[in-house]
Amino acid sequence: MGVAEELEEMRDEGLAAIASAEDLASLDAVRVAYLGKKGLLTGVLRGLGQLSPQERPAVGKASNDVRESLEKALAERRAHLEEAHLEARVAAGAVDVTLPGRVRLPGREHLINMITREIVEIFLGLGYEVAEGPEAELDYYNFTALNHPPAHPARAASDTFYVQDLSMETVDSTGESDVLLRTHTSPVQIRVMEQGKPPLYVIAPGRVYRRDIADPSHLPQFHQVEGLVVDEGITFGDLKGTLDYFCKEMFGRDRRTRFRPHFFPFTEPSAEVDVSCGICDGAGCRFCKGTGWLEILGCGMVDPNVFEYVAVDSERYVGFAFGMGVERIAALKYNIPDLRMLVEGDMRFLRQF
Amino acid sequence: MRVSLKWLKQLVDVDLAPEELAERLDMTGTVIEAVETLGASLEGVVVGRILTKERHPEAEKLWVTTVDTGGEEPLNIVCGAQNFEAGDKVPVATIGTELPNGMKIKKAKLRGITSEGMNCSAAELGVGADESGIMVLPEDAPVGAPFAEYHGTADTVLELEVTPNRPDCLSMAGIAREVGAITGRKATIPSATPKEQGQPIAESVRVTIEDPGLCARYTARLIRGVSIGPSPDWMIERILAAGQRPVNNVVDITNYVMFELGQPLHAFDASKLGIDEEGNAHVIVRRAKEGERLTTLDGQDRALSTDVLLICDPTGPIALAGVMGGESTEVCEETVDILLESASFDTACTSRTSRSLGLISEASMRFERGVDPNGCANAADRAAALLAELCDGDVAPGIVDEYPRKAEARGVSLRISRLNDVLGTDISAEEVEGILTSLGLGVAGGPETFDLTVPTFRPDIEREVDLIEEVVRVWGMERVASTLPGGRERIGRLTYEQRWRERIERTLRAAGLNETMTYSFGDPGDMDRLGWDLPAGEVPVKLLNPMSEEQAVMRRTLAPGLLRSVSYNQRRDVDNVHLYEAGTVFWTEAGSKQPHEGARVAGVLAGRWHSPEWHDPKPSQASDERDRTQAELRSPELNFFDGKGLVEALVSDLGVERFKVRVEEYPWLQPGRSAELIVNGQVAGWVGEVHPRVLDAFDAHGPVVMFELAMDVLTAAAVPLRQYSEIPRFPAVELDIALVVEESVSAERVEQAITSAGGKVLEGVRLFDVYMGAGVPEGKKSLAYALTYRASDRTLTDEEVRPQHEKLLRKVASAVGAELRA
Ligand SMILES: [Zn+2]
Repeated sequence: MGVAEELEEMRDEGLAAIASAEDLASLDAVRVAYLGKKGLLTGVLRGLGQLSPQERPAVGKASNDVRESLEKALAERRAHLEEAHLEARVAAGAVDVTLPGRVRLPGREHLINMITREIVEIFLGLGYEVAEGPEAELDYYNFTALNHPPAHPARAASDTFYVQDLSMETVDSTGESDVLLRTHTSPVQIRVMEQGKPPLYVIAPGRVYRRDIADPSHLPQFHQVEGLVVDEGITFGDLKGTLDYFCKEMFGRDRRTRFRPHFFPFTEPSAEVDVSCGICDGAGCRFCKGTGWLEILGCGMVDPNVFEYVAVDSERYVGFAFGMGVERIAALKYNIPDLRMLVEGDMRFLRQF
Repeated sequence: MRVSLKWLKQLVDVDLAPEELAERLDMTGTVIEAVETLGASLEGVVVGRILTKERHPEAEKLWVTTVDTGGEEPLNIVCGAQNFEAGDKVPVATIGTELPNGMKIKKAKLRGITSEGMNCSAAELGVGADESGIMVLPEDAPVGAPFAEYHGTADTVLELEVTPNRPDCLSMAGIAREVGAITGRKATIPSATPKEQGQPIAESVRVTIEDPGLCARYTARLIRGVSIGPSPDWMIERILAAGQRPVNNVVDITNYVMFELGQPLHAFDASKLGIDEEGNAHVIVRRAKEGERLTTLDGQDRALSTDVLLICDPTGPIALAGVMGGESTEVCEETVDILLESASFDTACTSRTSRSLGLISEASMRFERGVDPNGCANAADRAAALLAELCDGDVAPGIVDEYPRKAEARGVSLRISRLNDVLGTDISAEEVEGILTSLGLGVAGGPETFDLTVPTFRPDIEREVDLIEEVVRVWGMERVASTLPGGRERIGRLTYEQRWRERIERTLRAAGLNETMTYSFGDPGDMDRLGWDLPAGEVPVKLLNPMSEEQAVMRRTLAPGLLRSVSYNQRRDVDNVHLYEAGTVFWTEAGSKQPHEGARVAGVLAGRWHSPEWHDPKPSQASDERDRTQAELRSPELNFFDGKGLVEALVSDLGVERFKVRVEEYPWLQPGRSAELIVNGQVAGWVGEVHPRVLDAFDAHGPVVMFELAMDVLTAAAVPLRQYSEIPRFPAVELDIALVVEESVSAERVEQAITSAGGKVLEGVRLFDVYMGAGVPEGKKSLAYALTYRASDRTLTDEEVRPQHEKLLRKVASAVGAELRA
């Protein structure tokens, strides 16, 4: 048998071995057997020296052809086997994707703070700043400077929590003192006007206290958001527009508002603001007690007497103020049946919002 | 205030449907609390004619009647009344009717005879006081007609919420005026000139006001020879509609006029009044003297404090001014002569008296809001005329009128330009004039500035702004166009502190804590339960009028509230509790007026992050006793290190560079699992596992991990601006070491030793294992660290690091007494 035939046979056998290699390891064994340092083809090439110079070029070329075809076949087979291997590995790694995910849930914000933040963000967008004030407040800020007459019923010890005054001044026998738990966020109005000069655009969220027995619709502590604007050229129309915008942002674009004249000691004129019932759209239903409206806010133009207490020129500046109860909004918007749930810390409640 | 529309229509011409009127009142500042339809309850009561009347065979006092009620067959009705005859027209309650007194008419057998309805008395129908017999109707009453329609009992009552600034609206006249203004009709205010006869009052009655500060005006009229009896039906109906029970004609008249004109009246039995030396009845208005007592109409003997205003005669007190009359001068059936009081008492004084004695009445409520002294005489005249008409009394000529503090109509001016500037409207001077006139104000001047005369029944109108309010509420708030403020110089943004506080809370939520809220009130015993001693000089903030003993102080710490929430959850089998609260705590000291307030953020962890899941790591088995604690610390049960981890996450998010969790014992924390957080050298708060004894006191079970941090210390330490530091460009060499040290050597100490021995190229130290168990001698523990070496300017080679690493090992070993473990 001549070298040429030998090479041809080697090629055929080699290609067959490559084709039958079932994995990368046996493929590699085939490569080593033919193309390795001690491989068959290498052996042929090593024997080239014994050939005549006339034979050499032809045999050399033939052996190169064999090498090339084997290498090509090896590469193709390798690619094929690698692909198959990957597919097999992936197939083996399949899992039941319906098993629950690995998660640590982030905590939730308390409903009241969530609503408060929503309200605050609406007013931040309107250019308001956020003001704060003490919860244990002086009578002056809570009542007097807000134009409450000395005998105003809200001052009664049956309605307002009074705090022991340790400044050695005499304590009123009625159980009242100069220090109290603020009954609304309105004292922040006074503090803001004392500390700053108009223009003032301020929103004041916070905790307030009234002597109500805790029941499904009352808590002795609850939360309000107060608003105050003092500037030149402010009008009652501005108050209406501001609260109308707020209610649409807070309750939905399709909600309407109405202003009913009312009385508050520290605003004049004053109004209560109703928003149209979201369930019946104003037609009247059980939720709105047949009126079609839900009472949401109290508001009014800052009373000149209040301006006098804080030395703001009521001829030059006009102001408006408003206040709303966050728990009430929670009850209306989230259907909370019992306000006491807000202070129990029940994880099953807190995780809902 | 209950307003009968039937009554109202006599004072002002309203043609609005009740719902429309209610809506108009609502939109002009008078809240409608309820709309009640009277007479509807008389549904089923019809006019009937007695056809036959026969004695009941079994009962002497009963009659068996047949009554034609317009139906096909007459009804058989058994009846106990004696005041009727066959042929009479009577009101008949048919089967199924429910009468105002709650009685339901059913088919029933009375002594064996079936009764198919009831012949009714005026009292049973709620249209009169007469209960002595059935109500016999006029001959022309149409048989079968609904009784309510025939009799005109149908009425609508609006229940109004009157705001405290509008005392004038506590009367039908005031409401009529208000309704007139909002509907453009004119209201008629009732008045009367009584026919007078006999000896003038001035010759027998004297009034002295000793304390004009508390009584601006006192008028009295004398009516002689009244006959006491029931009031006529029309008055009873009014009184019932107003929500009062009828008593007798004299008392009813005083009540009627009070509802009509808003002026409370009091009738004394003139014969029971003490007389002075000249034989005159002498009424003295003064404060009570020390030790004085009065037996009031309700039979109670009351001790009086000296700030109570009294009506007295020369012998002593006869009434609490504006609140309640005295028993000794009460009008009774034998009363003949009446002294009628119509006065104006001080608002605050009446309020104090009625509240302190718990006597709140229609009268005291009106004095508390303010009664116009200029209305006293008119009301006295009106009542006197009614007493003459309905009680057959003789009104003595004249009126005794002591009026030491005359109320004058107030002058206020209103600029139309100012009105429109404040409202953002364009209301014309004519419209303004019309509105203010209809409200009863005198209008002069204009068109730029009006000069108004405000009658004394509107004490709430004192200033220009009050007039603006009147105009806008009547003109219509809904007509004011909505605008937004156009001012400049406005930037809406949170303050620096507020932004950090929000961020702190956001971080805690991201870490898995749920926000909660607990009461700001505290139980005075809570500090003892915690074992928390107040620092010297500090005292709790006490409430003078707490809701309960458990809420008698303001909280000093958020811990008790959160522990109670843990207990609340655990008692409901919710064992995994992750809560935080950001809130205010309070403290004070002797001599301090307003308490101090501090913002705190506190968190609590109990149970696990989540109940066991399929993917949880398999629990490792403790190899021996010593390893048990280590195994516990690695279990999913939340422990000290979860709390510490939260605190570290928080501080690291704030960018604080210098912070430290340092061993510190707190009485409410378990010793050995108690630490404090130091931020920039300041104590920011504490973290630890709550002491089992404290958990017991709060009915919770452990382990419970808690922390409480001072918000201001955190926000002050926050670093808003952080400089760029280079990202490593060259690879690191990581080498692990294991050190066996005495158990008492703290991890912190070992780490410090490593860091200080590490030199420039030691980039990081990470403790990846702590082991105490088989293979480690008793009393020792093995700490395994991964050390990262890196140079910022070149790739470190193993050969370069090795010698350094060996040196570090030797140094650390000698510094902490460690032996190296393979
Ligand atoms: Zn509705």
